[in-house]
Amino acid sequence: MSEAGRILRQAMAIGALGLLIAAAVHFPLFKRFARGEFRESFFQASDFPGVRLITLEEGEELWRTAQASLVDARRPGLYGEGHVPGARSVPAPEAEKALSVDLLNLPREGTLVVYCEGGDCQSSFLLAKRLHDEGFKDIRVMTGGWKAWQAAGLPEERGNGQK
Amino acid sequence: MVRNKTVLLVFRALLGGLFVYAGIVKVLEPLDFAQNIRNYDLVGQSLSFIAAIVLPWIEILAGAFLIAGIWKRGAALVITGLLVFFIVLTLVTIARGLDIDCGCFGAIDRKAGLSVILEDLAMLYLGLCVLSAPKEYIRQKEGSPRKG
Repeated sequence: MSEAGRILRQAMAIGALGLLIAAAVHFPLFKRFARGEFRESFFQASDFPGVRLITLEEGEELWRTAQASLVDARRPGLYGEGHVPGARSVPAPEAEKALSVDLLNLPREGTLVVYCEGGDCQSSFLLAKRLHDEGFKDIRVMTGGWKAWQAAGLPEERGNGQK
Repeated sequence: MVRNKTVLLVFRALLGGLFVYAGIVKVLEPLDFAQNIRNYDLVGQSLSFIAAIVLPWIEILAGAFLIAGIWKRGAALVITGLLVFFIVLTLVTIARGLDIDCGCFGAIDRKAGLSVILEDLAMLYLGLCVLSAPKEYIRQKEGSPRKG
């Protein structure tokens, strides 16, 4: 066998061995994945108590009855093009730096509804984790996001003026 | 490329150690690493999950084999392959303007940026030295390599 072929086979064997060990060690995690956990985000509910996923209808109800403060995790440009009326803009990457005083002044016991673009966007989850770490107790991630809100023909607000 | 046997041994220990370390921190927090992969926004949820579970073990095995002297060049090939992939991935991430953690060493916050590429290039050099060294230079059992 040529030297190059031998090296290649060694490398492939290392890959296959890694796959086997991973399957054995993380078998319980695989089972949870197969059951449907982690389909929308990889956070473990037990690590982030108070973070819940909600549907568009639940989000709309909380918004209509003013029971929650809405937080838009998308980039400022997208927020400016249209957002849920009254929603604050907190782009997820910025959430890793300093959160606005405006947001931090909200009562930690109050309800926050976080959303991003929709589909399988991740920024609402990132922001929800950060808000959890800031001490907020009730954070709901509206998984349909902005796309679902728009598709449902719900009210929109434009511009970057922060509420 | 370096052809000194002792230096190559140090390279193997250093590179292998870094990969074993990087793998272990990810194995300990598989879901965090899965989220890191997902944040690159290149693959979906399922592939991110599978990569996050398997990749750290490949890093650990390749690193450990490189240190222990088992299938050294195969291990060096895996590591250099991964490094080339990481470099391309980071370049693409910079080009797309994404502001995300690289996920290189688990929970240690590092942005996917130029410093990560430089670090990977340095490691790539070590890996290529091991990979390209003639057999007798990295084969310990056969004594010193012949000169000339």
